[in-house]
Amino acid sequence: MRAYRALLRKDLLLEWRGRELVPAMLAFVLGAMVLVRFGLGGETLAGGTRAATGLLWVVVVFTSMLALVRSFAQEREHGIWDGLLSTPADRSAIWAARATATFLFLALTQAVALPLFWLFFLQEGRSPSIPVLVAALLLADLGVAMLGSLLAGLATHVRAREVLLPVMFLPFMLPLVTVAVRLTVDTISPQTSGLHTSQGLGFLALYDTIFGLLGWALFEYVVED
Amino acid sequence: MVIGSQRARPDGATVAATATAVLMALALGMIFFYVPTDVDQGYSQRIFYFHVPIALTTYTLFVWGAVNAARYLWRRDQSLDLKSYIPMHLGVIFGSLTLATGSIWARISWGHWWFWGDTQLTTFLIIFLFNCAYFMLRFSVEPGERRATYSAVYALLGVGLIPLSVLGVRFAQRNELIHPITFNSNGANMDGSMFLTFLVALAAMLSLAVTMYLVELRGKRIDDRIRAIRRLAEARA
Repeated sequence: MRAYRALLRKDLLLEWRGRELVPAMLAFVLGAMVLVRFGLGGETLAGGTRAATGLLWVVVVFTSMLALVRSFAQEREHGIWDGLLSTPADRSAIWAARATATFLFLALTQAVALPLFWLFFLQEGRSPSIPVLVAALLLADLGVAMLGSLLAGLATHVRAREVLLPVMFLPFMLPLVTVAVRLTVDTISPQTSGLHTSQGLGFLALYDTIFGLLGWALFEYVVED
Repeated sequence: MVIGSQRARPDGATVAATATAVLMALALGMIFFYVPTDVDQGYSQRIFYFHVPIALTTYTLFVWGAVNAARYLWRRDQSLDLKSYIPMHLGVIFGSLTLATGSIWARISWGHWWFWGDTQLTTFLIIFLFNCAYFMLRFSVEPGERRATYSAVYALLGVGLIPLSVLGVRFAQRNELIHPITFNSNGANMDGSMFLTFLVALAAMLSLAVTMYLVELRGKRIDDRIRAIRRLAEARA
């Protein structure tokens, strides 16, 4: 636990001093939303707020990819790995600290992105339920951070890691996005999908639990050498 | 000495290949000459006897690969890495065949090559994408212990992905069930002769997978051995 706290502090401090990830993610989110806005046809949005809410999730996934590709970049570029691995700290603590930092970065980015999303897309139509959207985003962020930190660990010693990480990551996003979109879009105007809000949020929590356990158990093998 | 003893007793691959040839011939005979034509879908329904066994074989191969991946992480035996990789590799081949046969069948009976509303189709696509990513990962790492470990870790993540995909896609679809329900809690939802044909076709497909597995395993092992011998020869020279 002490190792976890120290590692998390290191990750947050590095980001605070360097400010290389969060500003980039914010700029990316802004750019992506403007792109979506134009891509869907300028002034009036084809498909209205339903389509916009769906696309918000796509933007969320791509933004999180940005965070994951840079995950462990400091460790790699400045040779911190060897130092980290020579400490007696539990390997899972490295993963947990990295996942927590990624989760915080994602949540921070979305705290800015969500008002922008409202400004760009939701003024002209019915908005999805904001509490549900926020809860779904936080649960999804947690899953993305835990799974993504494990995959980023895998990609550390791999050729062409910037390309490979998204390829490894995207299949895992498909069930998450499928449910998250249905969950949030259904709060705009309920469809007969048979998906209750509690079911949808429960699914996201289950997703977090499964990949949390897998990440915690498997990370040790990823960094062993 | 070793070669002599292999000649005396037929090895696993030969036995499996013979069994596959017999079963496959039997299955083809039953599919085209024995089983009655489906009342609703007509002649084209016969692709069912290819499509469903191939899909089930793909799932089996995947589970097989994941089980051996877990065993590899447990025991650290390099041969288990091969035994995990080969089922995943064959899974991509059988997976492509499932998507192809399913697509043909969908075109004939539903009128579209692809139908996003269908749970099984979408789930299968996710698994297929996962399998492709497994390959990309495997071929981006130098051969050796690290590659074996990374492949095993990724294969085990798939064990989490598949049930979640089934559940998630089922939740999110608007209960559009156009995929024929072949099996339910009351057992097989088909005629006795159809079920028998299906079982034979399934056995044929599974034994084809086993044969391919044994042949590829042997090839890979010979490959490794030749490489070791070459290294030894170079060291001597």
